[in-house]
Amino acid sequence: MLWTDKLSDMEDDKIINNGSQPSGPLPEGTQPGIEKTQFETETVSNEGAIEETTSFFKKLRENKKVYKPLRFFFYVFVSLATLFLLFMFIVYLVPVFREMTSGQKTEITNDPDLQKTPAYKKQISLLTKDIQRLSRKYNAYSTGESYIVINTTDNKFFLYKNKKLIREGSCSTGSYKKLLTAEGKSWTFKTPRGKFSIQAKRTNPAWHRPDWSFIEEGVPIPPKDSPLRWEAGVLGDYAMDLGDSYMIHGTIYKRFLGMPVTHGCVRLNDEDLEVVFHTLNVGSKVYIY
Amino acid sequence: MTMETETINRQPRKRTGLLILIILIVTFIIYYSIMSLMSPGRTLARISNEYILKQDEKTRIDEKIFSDSAYLKKLKEKAFLQSRIALAESDSIYLTINLTDSTANLEIYGVVVHAAKITNLKMSSILSKGNEYIISSLLSSPFTIAESISTIKKDPLMLKMAPKDTSEYKPDIMPDTTITEPVNYILEMTNGTRIFVYQEENSKPGESMNQFSFDLKDKLRNTISSLKSVAVFKVPEYHPYIKLSIPRADAKIIYRAIPRNGQIAIFR
Repeated sequence: MLWTDKLSDMEDDKIINNGSQPSGPLPEGTQPGIEKTQFETETVSNEGAIEETTSFFKKLRENKKVYKPLRFFFYVFVSLATLFLLFMFIVYLVPVFREMTSGQKTEITNDPDLQKTPAYKKQISLLTKDIQRLSRKYNAYSTGESYIVINTTDNKFFLYKNKKLIREGSCSTGSYKKLLTAEGKSWTFKTPRGKFSIQAKRTNPAWHRPDWSFIEEGVPIPPKDSPLRWEAGVLGDYAMDLGDSYMIHGTIYKRFLGMPVTHGCVRLNDEDLEVVFHTLNVGSKVYIY
Repeated sequence: MTMETETINRQPRKRTGLLILIILIVTFIIYYSIMSLMSPGRTLARISNEYILKQDEKTRIDEKIFSDSAYLKKLKEKAFLQSRIALAESDSIYLTINLTDSTANLEIYGVVVHAAKITNLKMSSILSKGNEYIISSLLSSPFTIAESISTIKKDPLMLKMAPKDTSEYKPDIMPDTTITEPVNYILEMTNGTRIFVYQEENSKPGESMNQFSFDLKDKLRNTISSLKSVAVFKVPEYHPYIKLSIPRADAKIIYRAIPRNGQIAIFR
């Protein structure tokens, strides 16, 4: 019921009450005909409240010291609230409405009459043949040969044989350090990502130190054929070349395994290195990501 | 007396000015909303024109077949295989997203090197409710990344100046691997599609705040771009999206591994 309907009902009650005598005995001190109805009492109290509020605002308006800053804050609040609502509407609501209006789902009918037609059967058979051909082609990429996968973000390795994981563990990969010299030369120590293959396998490898290893320590660079370039025992018992001077090898810094600390090579601990060395052959794939 | 007249005259002027301002703002909002609501339709029309089935008289097929579930399933399977083969032949690291299985795999030359479970998934209605044949055709070729926006660095390079002599040499300190930064990123494709990858872990208040501010920045970027288009009476660009939540470690691995202009195959 609307409040206006309620109001008119109450008015009717008042008329009825005024026109007839109350059925029960009247309370003490009240006279018939001049009794105040509930509606009248409410109206009087509402009028009083309105009057009070009006006079409060009148007083407030007259008090310029309070009214001016209050009015200012009110305007600022209303402006900020409007801006906030506008922002929310444009940034959040419009994209939501946009999503609601886009797209119309394909109705799946699965018409049995269509499924009986030779044209339908032909299309399904063509698709099945295509899928079989493509699946064969795709499966040919992953062979049953042994391979190793190296995760350079978490510094972990996974060794596979016959498509089964046979060993996993920690390794160390490129540190992402960029070494800069005063002359403007630079080297970035990161492990390259992608598909590689084992190009050579070596036991008891010696390390031929490149220029950067001397520059990094502030040591003068010896000539290319200097015996000072050769260092034995630092690469562990085995090394597998990946090309471009990158290798999978052992380390004397075992506490750094699982961390990005190398100059680009992949370091493994002695036990893992031995298994990897004996599982992978020259030509085996190395996947680094 | 004149002061009073001026004040009385200023009041209606102020009101008229305010009314004009309100009318202008409301008109602009209506105009902006209409233009924005038109944009998905335009994008859908562009995609439909590009991928709609072109029939010739000899090999004409009944279009009712595109509402057959068995046919559509095979069509999608073929599209995903085609896409993966194209990527495997590119000899690079790529991402395959299987929305049906909720998996995101990193692959190199056809070998899955890393698998991540998608824990939460949301996509725009164009992709989820769009015409099956057209969307399958769209997904049959790989998506190429044009640009990416991320909370983490692609290559976390640290600069180190070479020492002049041994007295200046300081050995490297052990890197702190316990630091976990929030990982959220957007991969923007050359075809306009956007792939949002969020870290699944949002238990700490800082993490959810980071995701909220990352999202807000993107929404602001898009709104500014839309406002610019609307200002020159152009319908703003609409970008279909796929939003994924995956574990933080996996999100970081995928972002670091995938090349800057890497490719993605999607199965829906």
